[in-house]
Amino acid sequence: MSESTLSQTRKNERHPFNWGRFFIYVVLVIGALVSVIPFVYMVLSSFKSYGSVIANNFWPWWPFGTEPLQFSNYPEAITDIGFDKTWNMPLFFRYLANSLIVSGCIVLGTVTTSTLAAYAFAYIKVPGKSLMFLLILATLMIPNDLTLVPKLVMMYNFKWYNNYQALIIPFTVSVFGIFLLRQYFMQIPKDLFDAAKIDGAGHLRYLWSIVMPLSKPALITIALLNFIWSWDSFKWPLLVTRDSSMRVLAVGLQQFLVGEGGTKIHLMMAFASMVVVPVLIFYFFTQKYFTEGIAKTGIKG
Amino acid sequence: MRSLYKLTMVLVVLSMVLAACTTPTAAPTAAPKATDVPAAKATEAPKPTEAPKPTEAPKPTEVPVVEVANPPATPEQVDAISLEGKKIEVTFWHNRSEKDQAFLQGMLDEFNASNPYGITAKAEIGGASYNDLYTKVSAAIQAGQPPSMSLAYQNQAAFYRGQGAVIDLNPFIKSSKYGFTEEDLKDYFPAFLASDANPQYKGEILGFPTQRSMDVMYYNVDWLNALGYTEPPKDWATFEEIVCKAAKETDKYGWAFRHDASNFASMVFSNGGRIIAEDGSAYVFNSDAGVAAATTVKNVFANKCAVEIPTSEKYGEQTRFGNGQVLFVFASSSGLLYYKDAVEKGANFKWSIAMLPNSGKPAVNLYGASISVYKTTPEQELAAWLVIKFLGEKEQTSRWAIQTGYLPVRASAKEAVITSEKWGPVAEAYAQMFDWAQYAMVEAPVAGYDPVRSIIDTDVMSKIVADPTLDPKTLLDAAVAAANAVLAENAPK
Repeated sequence: MSESTLSQTRKNERHPFNWGRFFIYVVLVIGALVSVIPFVYMVLSSFKSYGSVIANNFWPWWPFGTEPLQFSNYPEAITDIGFDKTWNMPLFFRYLANSLIVSGCIVLGTVTTSTLAAYAFAYIKVPGKSLMFLLILATLMIPNDLTLVPKLVMMYNFKWYNNYQALIIPFTVSVFGIFLLRQYFMQIPKDLFDAAKIDGAGHLRYLWSIVMPLSKPALITIALLNFIWSWDSFKWPLLVTRDSSMRVLAVGLQQFLVGEGGTKIHLMMAFASMVVVPVLIFYFFTQKYFTEGIAKTGIKG
Repeated sequence: MRSLYKLTMVLVVLSMVLAACTTPTAAPTAAPKATDVPAAKATEAPKPTEAPKPTEAPKPTEVPVVEVANPPATPEQVDAISLEGKKIEVTFWHNRSEKDQAFLQGMLDEFNASNPYGITAKAEIGGASYNDLYTKVSAAIQAGQPPSMSLAYQNQAAFYRGQGAVIDLNPFIKSSKYGFTEEDLKDYFPAFLASDANPQYKGEILGFPTQRSMDVMYYNVDWLNALGYTEPPKDWATFEEIVCKAAKETDKYGWAFRHDASNFASMVFSNGGRIIAEDGSAYVFNSDAGVAAATTVKNVFANKCAVEIPTSEKYGEQTRFGNGQVLFVFASSSGLLYYKDAVEKGANFKWSIAMLPNSGKPAVNLYGASISVYKTTPEQELAAWLVIKFLGEKEQTSRWAIQTGYLPVRASAKEAVITSEKWGPVAEAYAQMFDWAQYAMVEAPVAGYDPVRSIIDTDVMSKIVADPTLDPKTLLDAAVAAANAVLAENAPK
């Protein structure tokens, strides 16, 4: 057997062809394409003219077409949804500021409350703790739409309607976050807790100095997921606000679908492309931790 | 001892003084019997001269006190409401864009500055679609915090009425003080006004129109001419014929069929039928007209002459039309300017609109939400009504029509609207609709119509499109049975 044949055989031994694995890769590639195609369509359409969009011209630019990239769609999309007289600038920026404030506060609030609650469930001995945890988990089974009206009534009663409180406070506690972090915290060896206790650390010191640094992937996962959820949130911000000055980007995006008549698809896609940029940036910087966080807790999707 | 002596002496002296002061009493001789004096009555002190009674002021003519119910039940009750000094705030939820919101608020600011009652009206975007708005209003009603008024389709208003949240506007319209004059009422398109009278609630008017549109047939004039026709089809047989002629070319279709129960309703109307009985007692779209409409869909799909636009492809029929891929589209007239844009930026051909083909009796499906007033206080309700009245005035309905592409609700507004530069080449097409308004019909102004729309779409239209061999009558009978169950469930209790 020649040297090269031997090397090829060894390679095959290391990575023998496996139909099961092949099938999994095919499914994964298809899944990835299904996920990516709408995104690609959105970005490409945002640079097309309206004519090219309605003609379903996939690539109207050089070398297949003569159309220039329509960068003007972006400023047009920004100005198309209206003007904020108070800030003296397009409403887009008001929406953007609100989205950043609301999502930022929700992330901060969720991470804080989830960490404290998860720590309590993982480390502190309280009678009936398991039952309490089960009850909290059970709230995940209640559809959001069912709680919409009671929550809205509360907002009116608290005089939070059309205020940031209504946009932020109801979402500063996440049952999913508590669950995910508890699972993660429970994987940290108990010996560390005992050692810290011997060194004189209390619960808060242990949480801050040991548990949180070790749980960075899970914490970032919670932060990212809640950021995405709050960033995309549409129905609640619409229900609890009345002034344009209190609304968020997702509500602004819906305005391109107003009425019975039609829509300007190219502008809508330009607006949508701008809306996803902060999420992409956040994900770009936290991708490593996010994957790790999901993998280690065994929670998928 | 000495003190006691002094006290005794003081008491003795005091008693002597007191005794000296008393009247000497005669010896107690027997008192003579009293002579019987003629019983002279004691002279009564003359009574003071009675002051003459003041002349009573003439009683004012009594005005019957009108007790105002909430909501006011009669025009007299509406007349009796006073808004003086109340400075009421009116909130109006709608589903238009920020640009339209700014325009609307501009008009309302004029009202705020000019109304003599100090009413302040504020427009607020309640959602980007009618469904969003419906969700928001429903939640607000549950929370006991409805707006003063909002846009609502007739079936949505009926649903709100079922909860006692929306009021009847009849007393306001007929109020001699705050309502309309005969002349005003005549100026409104009768079909537009009639569309808000609810058959389930004895003709209560649950909304008032300030805008309307209709389902029309957009068609490619150049293509139609090339096929050898000089005018759009007037009857359904010719429609099928042209649709199939147009579909001879690859990737081109005679008709873009949009998944929407309203399209089906328009076809039923123009076949001489109805979706629901006039008194709202039962769904009747399985009539001969319904079967004819469904058969048309069946035929064109069996011959592969039409293309189905999936629900997920919003406005797909519009983009295909603009791109010259379909000859006919049935869609709302409010999209006229969007179609103009799509054609100009697309295949750039000559196009127009027409009424749908019919079976001898023209009919158009009337679209457009009205403004409903929510039960709050009589004063608040009246203030909301005055805002509606203002928005319905010729000046406002004209401006709003030009801004949004809707039809104005008054005949007198026609001239002002059709001469607007905004329409450009579609001015003539737009103007035609004023003549079609007389044929207007509404789908089903009853609570629970939204689930029925889904039934029509999924249990009839989608099935026929997917399998044109199915029997339309069987599908329609089953759908009507299901729809009537929904109707019974949502009937006024």
